[in-house]
Amino acid sequence: MNFKMKALVAGVVLGFSMSSMAAEPIKIGVSGPFTGGSAPMGVSMRDGVRLAVNEINAKGGVLGRKIELIERDDEAKNERGVQVAQELINKEHVVATVGYINTGVALASQRFYQQAKIPVMNNVATGSIVTKQFANQPENYIFRNSANDTIQSAMIVDEAIGRRGFKKPAILADSTNYGQLGREDLEKVLEKKGVKPVAVEKYNIGDVDMTAQLLRAKQAGADVVLTYGIGPELAQIANGMQKLGWKVPIVGSWTLAMANFIDNAGKNGDGTRMPQTFIQNPDTPKRKAFIDAYIKAYNPPGGRMPSAVSAAQGYDSVYLLAAAIQQAGSTEGPKIAAALEDLKTPVEGVVTTYNKPYSHSDHEAINFENTKFGEVRDGRVVQAK
Amino acid sequence: MEILLQLVVSGIALGMIYAVIAFGYQLTFATSGTLNFGQGEALMLGALVGLSLVGTIHGGPYLSYWLMIPIVVVFGALQGMFVEWIAVRPAIRIKSEFGWIMSTIALAIIFKNVAENIWGKDVLPFPSPLSSEPFTVLGANVQPMQVAVVIGALAIMLAVEIFNRKSIYGKAVVATANDRDAAGLMGINTRLVITFSYALSSATAAFAGALIAPLTLTSATMGASLGLKAFAVAIIGGLTSGMGAIVGGIILGIAETATGFYLSTGYKEVPGLVLLLLVLAVKPSGLFGKAAIKKV
Repeated sequence: MNFKMKALVAGVVLGFSMSSMAAEPIKIGVSGPFTGGSAPMGVSMRDGVRLAVNEINAKGGVLGRKIELIERDDEAKNERGVQVAQELINKEHVVATVGYINTGVALASQRFYQQAKIPVMNNVATGSIVTKQFANQPENYIFRNSANDTIQSAMIVDEAIGRRGFKKPAILADSTNYGQLGREDLEKVLEKKGVKPVAVEKYNIGDVDMTAQLLRAKQAGADVVLTYGIGPELAQIANGMQKLGWKVPIVGSWTLAMANFIDNAGKNGDGTRMPQTFIQNPDTPKRKAFIDAYIKAYNPPGGRMPSAVSAAQGYDSVYLLAAAIQQAGSTEGPKIAAALEDLKTPVEGVVTTYNKPYSHSDHEAINFENTKFGEVRDGRVVQAK
Repeated sequence: MEILLQLVVSGIALGMIYAVIAFGYQLTFATSGTLNFGQGEALMLGALVGLSLVGTIHGGPYLSYWLMIPIVVVFGALQGMFVEWIAVRPAIRIKSEFGWIMSTIALAIIFKNVAENIWGKDVLPFPSPLSSEPFTVLGANVQPMQVAVVIGALAIMLAVEIFNRKSIYGKAVVATANDRDAAGLMGINTRLVITFSYALSSATAAFAGALIAPLTLTSATMGASLGLKAFAVAIIGGLTSGMGAIVGGIILGIAETATGFYLSTGYKEVPGLVLLLLVLAVKPSGLFGKAAIKKV
């Protein structure tokens, strides 16, 4: 290859790379379980994220660039989540990642983002320690906009013991990180109230018979069941209680709003209560627009969002991130994180309007004010009264 | 006392599920010395095919629950024949000792993946033909569907046993089970008998799937753990005894619920497996199994 040829090739390559630079999209990773028992949450989250990105792109994108989503299924498995994180960081060069449905996957995966100085926006995972995993480091790249377990466990106990006056709670939690961390939180809050759970039981994902756990709780004289688990097994609990002819209320973490709990428990799930950041109820124009857009785009069966909370939090997480990128005027991780910690303009979301949601020491956007109680009634989640 | 009775009732209902699947293992082991490690998947496919017919997915319901059962059984039989034809027959032909292990496991994984693509990976509710309202027997709550599972499981096992003992075709099965080469020399088409035993074993599993689905919820992954536990039951009870499957199933079912209640729900699965190890150590042919003498 002679010099002229080389110069020509170099020129063409340079020209191409420059032309593509101008319109190169901003890559944002999406990691969540799109298959398996957690899929209703993961898919709803992804759909909410897609809606927000489509809206932003239709208005011209961020910093004049379009947002491109790089979606990966982490299958709710820790090792898969780690692979996905490494791929998104090293191969796809994302500027930030939204997602994480499962606390365990989040804890296993986000260290790679922390090392690479790329922000992670947890939009569903609720384990209390998720945002505190690297709190002792000078910069923390882990943010969240979901009601964490500290908030949820306090609300669950407040509802069951404080408001409804039950005295003998039983805790049923699954054996995953999510269930066991949640159980610890519940026990801590109960202890503060001076109440000791009469039974603390554990079950595995995929268990088809809950007789032993429920009998232990029933024999211990429990008057309310507090749960920490995901849809299918929660349905086994509700159905198992009916099998035993034992009728006490269930109050538990927000996952009791999952479609696969509501459908599989049927009428046994009625009256079940759980903390919710978002209920499919068009009570503001913004929420109405979001719900209508979601139903138009994805046409869920019966017009019911499979996991409205995940969709709404996913949707809002993109707007928070976009606002931070806009304010930072850059796609560099440290600058985005700094902008997130000091958001100058309020971000209007469907869960709430985020007014300075984060600070350097506080990476939680959701608090007691924007979390309410939902109740399962006739196959839907409605606001509890 | 009431508690114990409740645990026993739930344990029996759970154990009978294991028993029917374990019975399926025995059917094929008897005639060909091979097992279908996709027995749990046969159950899962039966449940999901049944769900397509009676559930609200795929535009249904098309049939009533009771009309769906024979269709599911026929489907199970065809599926079992397919497994035998593609995974087991080649291994038997080349007298491979272990080829069928991998090939039946491979088919099981393929079935699971296909099912995930047709029915999705989510857990689906199965409409119950009977009221789910429990009734009380001596203080223990029993659901009509649990009774149906026990009766249905016993009925299908009894039907297969009667068929094997009374009919001429059944005698061919028993002859093949006792001595395949001698039966072949007597003019019995042993290859057909083996295919038939696979059809029968998958048909019972598919039937069990349609039977238990209203109790356990349905999903593409429901077969794996049930199939494994049933295998433990088949080993505990003995791979050559129908009675062993029933007793083994009930023992494992009650052991699980009782340990969960009296010891800790965290250790629910342990005693069944300890029992498995004990049986293997003390009486490797199983509680009801005949010791096989193999001369080399």
